[in-house]
Amino acid sequence: MLIKKMPARMESLHELLTFIRNEAKKRGFSESLLQRIELVAEEALVNVFVHGYTHKDGEVEVGCLISDDPALTIEIRDKGVSFDPLSLADPDVQADLADRKIGGMGVFLIRKMADRVAYRREGGNNIFSMTFLNR
Amino acid sequence: MEIAVTNETDISIFAIKGRLDAVTVPELEQQLNQWFEGTGKKLIFDLEGLDYISSAGLRTFLSTAKKMKARDGKLCMTRLRDNVKDVFTISGFIALIPAFDTLGAAQDSMR
Repeated sequence: MLIKKMPARMESLHELLTFIRNEAKKRGFSESLLQRIELVAEEALVNVFVHGYTHKDGEVEVGCLISDDPALTIEIRDKGVSFDPLSLADPDVQADLADRKIGGMGVFLIRKMADRVAYRREGGNNIFSMTFLNR
Repeated sequence: MEIAVTNETDISIFAIKGRLDAVTVPELEQQLNQWFEGTGKKLIFDLEGLDYISSAGLRTFLSTAKKMKARDGKLCMTRLRDNVKDVFTISGFIALIPAFDTLGAAQDSMR
């Protein structure tokens, strides 16, 4: 597994996304899938930056799992407060403008655009994994 | 990200290029806040050069649509690339802000 560790803050976003994009590119994902992977990764990382470490600094670790099947699994780890993003309810995407709320949209996009997502808490770590099939 | 703002008669056009993500979105918010200090009622987002949008960008589009509604104005967007359109479609935002294939059609909708 290839790992990149950086401070869990917005300034790290572009470098982490470039790392993920390059790993996905090596595995032959098409440009349109690369853009989806990048979007999903941003949503998951920004969640950690904003909610993971409230009022203190911390780190985030991104791992790209190599497997034989034509898939890419990205694992995002942090030692912040225990939080399962998948516990959030989906936003009402049918709501009209007056009732429309933005909350939960990031996680909604993750669910819709990744092929598999999973969360686990392990040894003080939040571990969020997202799998993309190459098709 | 680059933002070019042009004004044609009473219509303002924000041409947004590059990436609209959690890092770059404050720039757009700043430009929009400045625009909302004026009394304009017609705003077009020209997205021909927009490569990428995430929920951070959607958040700004939603708050802009709400503000435009509050001042009884008109907001639309034009020339969305396929991947950007996908994000609008999946999120349901495509139903909240009218989207046009050409800038001309967007301008016509404002008249």
